[in-house]
Amino acid sequence: MTDLRMEETSPEDLAQREVLAAEPGRFDTVRRALFERPSTCIALAVVILFVIVAIFAPLIAPYDPLRQSILQINKLPSWEHWLGTDQFGRDVLSRMIHGSRNSLIFGLLSPVFAACIGTILGVSAGYFGGWIDRVISRVVDMLMAFPELLLAILVAAALGGSFWNIVVVLTAAFTPGFARVSRASTLAIKQEPYVEAAIAAGVRTPVIIFRHIVPNIMAPIVVLMALWSASSIRIEATLSFLGIGTQPPNPSWGNIIRDGLNAMFTTQWPIVAGGLAITIVVLSISIIGDSIRDVLDPETSQ
Amino acid sequence: MAKYVLYRLGDAIPTLFLVLTLVFIAMRILPGDPALAALGPMADPVQLALFRERMGLNEPLPLQYIYFLWDAIRLDFGRSFISDVPVADLIARNLPHTIYLTIVSVLMGLCLGIPFGVFAATRRNRPPDNALRIYSLIGYSIPDFYLAAILLIVFSLQLGWFPINGAGTGFWDGLHHILLPAMTLAMLKSAFMGRLTRTSVLEVLGRDYVRTARAKGAREGRVIYRHGLRNAMLPLSTGIGISILATLSGSVAVELVFNRPGIGRLLIDAISERDYPVIQAGVMMFAFFVILVNLVMDVVYVFVDPRIRMKS
Amino acid sequence: MTEPLLDIRNLCVDFGPASKPLRVAHNISFTVGAGETVGLVGESGSGKSMTALSVLRLVPEAARLSGEILYGGRDLLALPKRDMPEVRGKEIGMVFQEPMSSLNPVMTIGAQIEEAILLHERMPAAERRKRVIDLLRLVGMPDPEARVNAYPGQFSGGMRQRVMAAIAMACNPRLLIADEPTTALDVTIQAQVLAMMLDIRDRLNSAILLITHDLGVVAEVCERIVVMYAGHVVEDADVHTLFSRPRHPYTQGLLQSVPTLTDTRKRLYQIPGSVPPAGTITQGCPFRARCPKRLDRCAVEMPPMVTQGPSHRAACWATAMEAVA
Repeated sequence: MTDLRMEETSPEDLAQREVLAAEPGRFDTVRRALFERPSTCIALAVVILFVIVAIFAPLIAPYDPLRQSILQINKLPSWEHWLGTDQFGRDVLSRMIHGSRNSLIFGLLSPVFAACIGTILGVSAGYFGGWIDRVISRVVDMLMAFPELLLAILVAAALGGSFWNIVVVLTAAFTPGFARVSRASTLAIKQEPYVEAAIAAGVRTPVIIFRHIVPNIMAPIVVLMALWSASSIRIEATLSFLGIGTQPPNPSWGNIIRDGLNAMFTTQWPIVAGGLAITIVVLSISIIGDSIRDVLDPETSQ
Repeated sequence: MAKYVLYRLGDAIPTLFLVLTLVFIAMRILPGDPALAALGPMADPVQLALFRERMGLNEPLPLQYIYFLWDAIRLDFGRSFISDVPVADLIARNLPHTIYLTIVSVLMGLCLGIPFGVFAATRRNRPPDNALRIYSLIGYSIPDFYLAAILLIVFSLQLGWFPINGAGTGFWDGLHHILLPAMTLAMLKSAFMGRLTRTSVLEVLGRDYVRTARAKGAREGRVIYRHGLRNAMLPLSTGIGISILATLSGSVAVELVFNRPGIGRLLIDAISERDYPVIQAGVMMFAFFVILVNLVMDVVYVFVDPRIRMKS
Repeated sequence: MTEPLLDIRNLCVDFGPASKPLRVAHNISFTVGAGETVGLVGESGSGKSMTALSVLRLVPEAARLSGEILYGGRDLLALPKRDMPEVRGKEIGMVFQEPMSSLNPVMTIGAQIEEAILLHERMPAAERRKRVIDLLRLVGMPDPEARVNAYPGQFSGGMRQRVMAAIAMACNPRLLIADEPTTALDVTIQAQVLAMMLDIRDRLNSAILLITHDLGVVAEVCERIVVMYAGHVVEDADVHTLFSRPRHPYTQGLLQSVPTLTDTRKRLYQIPGSVPPAGTITQGCPFRARCPKRLDRCAVEMPPMVTQGPSHRAACWATAMEAVA
């Protein structure tokens, strides 16, 4: 009997059904991105855990991260100090917990700023063309030649380290990438018949840009933001390690390792703990970013 | 061919000017008062005045810009504030170490990454491929200075196989000193190159001309290396360029962890000592390297791909 | 009758899990005699390319092959995988559909032809070089001495297809499989490439298995025709019989849909419906939904190949009845 039913199904019907199935809703896309693979679920749980720790850092941390104690210098882990103490006798676990605030806030802030500035530059270059495009593309091409980390080091070297300078540094490092991607997407969408029709119909430029172009280039921008918040955390840690990021005595995972290196011969726990925290967070965010990319634009996924 | 190389060289000159201009903007204009930014808020007025005098900051900006460019072209970076040694000498002393480290680690990275990538590509979705996936994810996530510190702790401190710091003297001692720092960078680069190789080789192995090679009777090894890898070299050569630059930026942290001399170390020390002329020169050196590597990769690309060669 | 050069028996090609296989070729059986030119005809999706690739076992890795492919009495499907390179290129040469992408863009055409020789025959380099030039001359490449060091990007589609033919013929294979060699080419170039292939066949006395969807090409070139539909061989006859007395309703429909020069007023016949996707028909004759002669039996059982005359077989219940009646 089943065979008979199959016979009546024309190929057109089958194709139709496939098209219907391939058009998921927005919620469905998010659900598929985040909950389909177990590895992504774990990564998401890890990130949420770190966010909670960062938000409630003062409540969770057992000690004041800045309180020094001459009696407690370079202690190995114990019941009082789970990760031991550093060369000023500060509790490493408390510094780690407070340090997570720095890492996560940079991981969030700079990709958002870079996305905003980069998208404005890229859309302007792609939409208006002409000399605007030439100037922007030239500068972006040149900056893209630099690895983000190197660019960040060089800008930080020129500006010096403070909270807002680091935000500027990381934003500067990521802006070219956003500009290039949004320029390419804008060029592609500008060719679409509905945009050409809107231009021909005399719709005002800002309306075209915000109605038609910006919503349609959001997918790659979101993917980049996810991937680069991981890079941003890693780069902030590197800058802090080099002494040009978060400045002591404020804790950051990077400068915990920097301090740990000085005490390397007595206790290695600060190095191990700081590095593990960075690696785990960056790894989790990368996994989430990869999943979002796979769902949003399967073509560019490797 | 020669015309293409010349064209590329000509193209690099405006880029060089653009980079120098950006360095000028970043160091002289963005901070508002460069003297204050360089010496810190605690500096006393006499020091600040002396600094402005030495760096020519009292001149009008356009004139400063011209002096800046002229000095850069002559490779005259002034003298170090701290040691009073010409900055050019400092760079000449440190540069070979950074170049040596970069070359050794890039070579090690390629030797690890490319075969791993090919191996994974030919065993798609099987254990080697999954191993590479995990290796590259971790390689992407782990910061270079952390990996450097872990290797230092395990192999130098605990096992005592390698010296703890410095660059050593003579070839063999130098090699002994460089292995661990180079390995740090090589592991991270091999994660990247392995992933890139896998993707490129897989892409190429699906091409029609690979089927043609099989139809001729070529065995799998020949198909993969002669046809697959050869064509995958096109995207890979770009990847190698990226690797070299990433190694260069990674060398900054690695030189610091292993306490090795080098340009990165020079720059970081200069920053902590507020040695302005050295910072400026260090930034320019790195920027110059980036342009140079990109230029060389552009030219190499022409040799690898006959299609570009024919167009020019 | 002597043993055929290529004898395909009950070849099946499956994709997907073994528990729920997706079969794209069902019990394919036909032969190619030594020196014979056979056309394998069918619409796209009929499984003809997969059948051709199966002979050299160049099907995608996910495909599973069963049945027998006897070449000179040896079953190629039973051969260990590592012995296949000995057959490919040396015994059986193959020309592919896409001349634009089937040549390696970073190797000179000379090096690519030379590789085909190098893999199977030992000879001094100078001699090999000379052979490459001879091959290029054989396939009608103008000025072969100069062109030998050129890259594929410098050639047109027709010229590249000549290079492909030179590669396939490099070791004088006894069988040449040509998978839609002219489909991607302009009509005038098509004729030139076909003429070249026939010329090679006559000079080297190789057999040709020509895969195409173009009945015009087949009529011009082939001695015998095998018609495939939805993964099944439905008719197999020599070219005159097939064109004068087609026995399968699908072949009849195909022939009616070929435009003729003499009668331009008549509207071209079109077979109603389209080829069902692989896996959608699990029982009975796959053509029944589009068939004007279908019987009740067609929905239940796949008709076997029935002999319709000397060297003429067809798989259709309706014609089988006619033959009996």
